[in-house]
Amino acid sequence: MKRARWLISVSLALSQAVLSGCPPTPDPPPIPFSQSGEQYSDKVDFARLEHELPLKPSDLMKITPNNLKGANQEQVDQIYARLTAGPIPDGVYDGQMFFPKGSSERARLAEIVGGGIKGFVVDRKAATLEHIGEFIWKGKVFYRGEGVLRNRIEDLSLLKPIVGPNVEKIKKLQVDGKDAWLLFPAKLYCGQSLLDGRRESVIIDYAFTDDLPGYREMPDVLAGREGLEIRDEIRMVRPGFYLGRAYMKKVFALNFTLYNKAVADKESSTFVGSGTVNEDCWIGNQRMTATPNKAGNQHVRLTEPLE
Amino acid sequence: MRRIQTMPTLILGLALLTGYAVLTEGSAVAASGKPVPSTFHYGKHLTDAELVGAEIWFNATAGNARFFTYVYQQRLGVMIDWYRVLRSDARDARFHRWGLINDPDCCKPGDPNCPAKTYDETYGFDYCPGDDELLKYVGKSGYRDPACDLKDVPLAKEDPHGRTDMRQSACDLEFGTSTGALGLRKFPNPKFDKVKWLKINGGHLDSWDGYTAKVAPRKDREAPAKSHLNDGSIEPPYRIGMSCGACHIAFDPIRPPKDPVHPKWENLSGTVGNQYGRFAQILGSGMSPNTIEYQIYGHSRPGAVDTSAIPNDQINNAGTMNAIINLARRPTFEEDIIKWRKTNQCPAGGNERTCWCEPGKDGKCWERGRKKEFVHHILKGGEDSIGTLEAIQRVYFNIGSCSEEGWVNHLTDMRQLDPTMRGFGQTPFDIGQVRRDCPQFRAIEDRLSEIAQFLSTGAPADLYQARGLKNNDALVEQLNKEFGKGAVEQGRVIFASKCASCHSSQSPPFEKRDFRTVSVDPKDKSIRVDWLGNDKVIPVSEVGTNRSRSLHSNHMQGRVWEEYGSETLRAKPGDPQLKEPSDGGRGYYRNISLLSLWAYAPFMHNNAVGPEVCGGPLDEHYYSSYVDKDGKPLDSPPPCWLFDPSVEGRFKLYKASMKELLNPSQRIPKVTGFNHEVTIRLFPKLGDGKLERFVDTAIRFPVGTPAARIGNFRHKELVGDLVMARVDFDKLKAKYVARYGAEQGEQIAKTIQEKGKGLLEKPGSVLEAGAELRVVYSNSLAVIENDGHRFGEDLSDKEKDALTAFLATL
Repeated sequence: MKRARWLISVSLALSQAVLSGCPPTPDPPPIPFSQSGEQYSDKVDFARLEHELPLKPSDLMKITPNNLKGANQEQVDQIYARLTAGPIPDGVYDGQMFFPKGSSERARLAEIVGGGIKGFVVDRKAATLEHIGEFIWKGKVFYRGEGVLRNRIEDLSLLKPIVGPNVEKIKKLQVDGKDAWLLFPAKLYCGQSLLDGRRESVIIDYAFTDDLPGYREMPDVLAGREGLEIRDEIRMVRPGFYLGRAYMKKVFALNFTLYNKAVADKESSTFVGSGTVNEDCWIGNQRMTATPNKAGNQHVRLTEPLE
Repeated sequence: MRRIQTMPTLILGLALLTGYAVLTEGSAVAASGKPVPSTFHYGKHLTDAELVGAEIWFNATAGNARFFTYVYQQRLGVMIDWYRVLRSDARDARFHRWGLINDPDCCKPGDPNCPAKTYDETYGFDYCPGDDELLKYVGKSGYRDPACDLKDVPLAKEDPHGRTDMRQSACDLEFGTSTGALGLRKFPNPKFDKVKWLKINGGHLDSWDGYTAKVAPRKDREAPAKSHLNDGSIEPPYRIGMSCGACHIAFDPIRPPKDPVHPKWENLSGTVGNQYGRFAQILGSGMSPNTIEYQIYGHSRPGAVDTSAIPNDQINNAGTMNAIINLARRPTFEEDIIKWRKTNQCPAGGNERTCWCEPGKDGKCWERGRKKEFVHHILKGGEDSIGTLEAIQRVYFNIGSCSEEGWVNHLTDMRQLDPTMRGFGQTPFDIGQVRRDCPQFRAIEDRLSEIAQFLSTGAPADLYQARGLKNNDALVEQLNKEFGKGAVEQGRVIFASKCASCHSSQSPPFEKRDFRTVSVDPKDKSIRVDWLGNDKVIPVSEVGTNRSRSLHSNHMQGRVWEEYGSETLRAKPGDPQLKEPSDGGRGYYRNISLLSLWAYAPFMHNNAVGPEVCGGPLDEHYYSSYVDKDGKPLDSPPPCWLFDPSVEGRFKLYKASMKELLNPSQRIPKVTGFNHEVTIRLFPKLGDGKLERFVDTAIRFPVGTPAARIGNFRHKELVGDLVMARVDFDKLKAKYVARYGAEQGEQIAKTIQEKGKGLLEKPGSVLEAGAELRVVYSNSLAVIENDGHRFGEDLSDKEKDALTAFLATL
């Protein structure tokens, strides 16, 4: 039982958690969305959505880590499906986790643990374990050249019961003048999105990390194939800003954002002008947008990156 | 292929110049590995169009190598160990272990005359035609696919798209080269990292053992072992794709190989269907046996596969590969069809969801609309009924072509329990969208006519020819000697009176019909007039065979293959004799053809009536499904019969299967059960608003659990109802009163409510609840696989022999 509790709490530390406080809910990003019904069968197909309402660079510039928290899950999904993976990030990224507004918040939480139905879930105020993640997880550090990622943990005291002795051997990094311990390594690669198969995402995979330098069985094993099988996927909103989805045992857990201000400041203006970035991952064979039966339809054959 | 006919010497010379020198005696191949037309597929001389169709059927993957390398593993979570299946050092075991048919033109590295001398050169695979070029591109971009060399035939003048040739590039057919097993194709993986590969495989290029070896869990011994197949950061040297030929190329019943491990082209046909293929086991070859996915889907009989396992409809319903023969005389039916049809223009500014022109192509347009058309009933329940060409094209999607662009987003995620979330259930595949977004779709669609022409060359296999007799009269003489004087004629009379109403495409009265008449129309190429089946759909309760396949639901409205089912099919009423839901076109089987029946035993849609067959000591997959009357596995089951594609081997199997067919009371029931215990670990959080808790629990399925019972169960609906029982009992009651009536409906709702009470303390009790409520939540309650079709059981033994003799002549 104790282990189960830790597994849940640590997984949420990695994959974000429910926010205890409830600041005013921001408005969702002011970009086009398709109307969708409540049931799965009433949702717009992603291919149709993107064909009819593609996101322009100027739309993407309107999305922020903060206003995403004002979107409901369907809106977050509609944004994610219209993004490409972009370049695999490099360097330090600040992280924020969020449950979108709306009634589905409760369902999201339950979905993690197999309930998934409104009314079958707990009172959120009682879910104290999940809050741990909010305090200890601050973001991710990408080592693009090595294909590795590590999570930034700022308060190790909460993890001490499972981290064990020799804490001083844990790799550290200073970010904004604060110490950050680097735990829970993961492998980085281009792979399948579990939400939208039409193009790849950047995958952050904790399954086989025991062969990575600095791997520490406790607590790293808890995220891996013998633990909760954490798997994150991210796509780029714009340079320096990624939207992510965290899964446990292939079940969607929650959303998160990653932001690197320096990259965003440096590359955004070029991005708005050109609308293009380097793509490290497969982005599909072609893309056509809707201008029915008229000359000038986009009909671009895309090639696979890195090939 | 036309090029081979006209320039065989040049091709042979080029092959030799490029280092390919292992040409099997009597065969020659082009870069794509295509066979010499005069020696394969009944030895027919095919037209140019038929040859193009054959080459596509044999070799085209239409981009599904990404599906079988990435999508399957990462999105669907099912592991394929391609090395275990295709390793060259086990080439001689491949047929008996996996039912795969060795490509006559490939060789084992190191064998005499094989251009590859070591397994290192081929990363452990066979060496095949075209590999001299392909191997240069492992880990590199720039590979030029052999499909680019396909020489298309001119479009028909009446084709609306035929004004100028606007077909999608043949390169998008994506042939790659053979893996050494027919129908499985390989492509160089540009992302392959040699350094990583050597590291994980202990410094060896020729072995995938470090990549595929299962790593046992260190702490939780109940968890399934996993391998680096689950590790998406490792890129294998090849991406593996599948052509239609993987399931449909097989040994020609008339010209079987002397040694099935080493067939020659003249022993092969592209349309008979592989009766030995173990595709369920192949596609689960990287899974641990103690996983629920493997135990539900990994036990199909040889020659059968559950094609709805991926687009899952929660019905365990493996079916055989259909023999594609005598198509020109297959019955058609006028049905109400909504589909896309070729046209050469669309109204300006119109809705592209009803009329669409491909950008950059002059007048290459499609229009979607509703019309009456004559169509075949293709699948076993009559589904795939919007046209032959569309049925052919759908096969490519079912094997993963365009899966990322247009398929996987429409599939059910078995873990998604929230009906408000995407993935809870299927949504319809959108043909117009995939045509627009997937060039491989268009590459196939633009050549469907040629594929159909090739498939139309499939002909019945006459036993008299297989036995080398002069004509059918000589066969009748032999059969009368074996089964008794006049047996064949007596069997014909029995057939006419008792069988022909379903198993003839001629009209009654049948008494004087000739069931073997051959068409004199030269266009028909001497095929039979009678298809020996009327292809009409009949309620499954009439035939009584295992009904799971008939309850297949993927063609219903709102389901993944909605656009491939006719409105006529979907409007059919349900079968009132069934306890399971059977609306929307479910609950029917079509009356199958008995053409060449002698060559296609065991019988029924699932190969379950007749002896079990297996590959012998090399077969890692066979285990008995025989049970006693209480459903317990037999201690001493009948042995399985070894794969034997010889003429006499097929005939013996036919006779034994006929005996079981006509003596249903003597059949030993077969129920495929789990052959390994499965434990599913859960960490559910349960609460009732006041109390919450995480519970570490496990659900265990013991050995012998009927796979169908679990595979057919709608677990999502049970979970939803358990919740509804707690939050809105009246709604739950209303749901079941509407379905079962006032008294029974209320009782069911109360039972669900009662079962839900114990869940907080004992989450594993969901299994008990499921067992008690099986009738409510099962898509099919059938578990016995070889019952039903009792027609003929009242015949005398002599009459049964006579019928067996007559059917062997068809």
